[in-house]
Amino acid sequence: MKHDFKNWFASLPAVPGVIACGVRQPNGKWGGFSDEKKFPAEKIGELLKQFAELHEPLAAADFSPRWTTWAFEYGHLRFVARPDQWLLMLLVSPETEAAHSLDQLSERFLAFSAK
Amino acid sequence: MTKEAKTKTEPRHHVLIVDADHDYLVAAGDAFHGLSENTWRIHTATGALAALAAVAAEKIKLAVLDDQPSGGEVAELIGQLRVKQPKLKIVVMAGTATDEKRAASLAAGADLFLEKPVSPEGLKAVFQNFCELLGWVVPPPNAETRRGVGLTDLIQMECLAGNSSLLEIFREHSLGRIYLEQGQIIHAVCGELAGEVAFQKLLGLAGGTFELRDFEPPPERTLNRTWEYLLGEAARHRELSGLRARAGGGLAGTGAVSTEPAGKALELLICAGTGEMLYQWQCPAVAARLGLLKTVARHAETLISELQLGKFDRLEIQLADSRAILQPRADRLIFARVAASAVMP
Repeated sequence: MKHDFKNWFASLPAVPGVIACGVRQPNGKWGGFSDEKKFPAEKIGELLKQFAELHEPLAAADFSPRWTTWAFEYGHLRFVARPDQWLLMLLVSPETEAAHSLDQLSERFLAFSAK
Repeated sequence: MTKEAKTKTEPRHHVLIVDADHDYLVAAGDAFHGLSENTWRIHTATGALAALAAVAAEKIKLAVLDDQPSGGEVAELIGQLRVKQPKLKIVVMAGTATDEKRAASLAAGADLFLEKPVSPEGLKAVFQNFCELLGWVVPPPNAETRRGVGLTDLIQMECLAGNSSLLEIFREHSLGRIYLEQGQIIHAVCGELAGEVAFQKLLGLAGGTFELRDFEPPPERTLNRTWEYLLGEAARHRELSGLRARAGGGLAGTGAVSTEPAGKALELLICAGTGEMLYQWQCPAVAARLGLLKTVARHAETLISELQLGKFDRLEIQLADSRAILQPRADRLIFARVAASAVMP
């Protein structure tokens, strides 16, 4: 299963429109890919951390999101949090294959087992 | 310093702006003078002493104070102005609004605390806030300026002024009429529709023009709700239409985020940019939603500066059985939740 996930995650940058993607493990370690011309890879870790910090106010408002999407003029930022605390981040360009596949990709991430 | 009106209209309202920044005084004075269509006479002062002198000498009804006036503390100046003119309305404006500044200003006796606008839209919103505070209304706009005023704005202005008038709405031909009597909406007709259905249809129209005419008695009275309720419902319908369109995949401007179909509206909250609630429908926790909107706005600001992805439009939160959409804009904070049908397989 781990191997399946690694392969799937490694295939994400090939989806047309993906600018960056990252994954954060429950222990805080993270990894990711990005189109360096558009988005420096070192920012992926910061974004994953920032999103984790938003969980508290979301929980305070009685929200347990399956995923959240920050829609900007030139990019959509999707965070998907699994119950086992794995976190996926996808930054995609609007009106691209990746933008239209966000829900499908998110569901796939949620479907991976923790084992 | 006093700016004289240079048009045929005689200024009716005297407004004092106090700020140490001369350039700001000129810019704000010109802007409010223009927005009021020459019905405001703008007085300016760069310090506390000049402000007190202006209030003593002129019939100032509104004083707009910088939160850090030269020559004293704003709380002290508010107290001194109140002594000179107890009925004076006082607004404190800050470059950066904080809860502490707001609390201190209101505790000192200010009627309103606002952040200084940084855009024409923000300036217009502040102008509207001033008008609402004092019950002042901009005169019915002429044909040129009316292009920039929406039907909703005009109805609100007429109602606030307690006017009686007739609004005729056109799209090539006459589409309908809205009758206002002494500041209340008493009748609406749109084709064969009448009453609230007709009113909401007219307010929901995209495009078209309208004319403000002298009041004439309507053939019947079909509306008895307050204008605040009717305009609030119209705003809710517009917001829901927009949000449903977005939720349905027709996301204008920024491309599709979700592929799920539109769902039934579950709750809606609309607040002014300052946080004041304007409208809520089935919202179970207004304070919590507002707090979340503000938190999202702060996060978005951080993300904007770090990511350089352009203007932030909204945050969508996919829940188990619904989707929440948060739009923290400068002039409006909007929270909506729509039911989602089944999530994707």
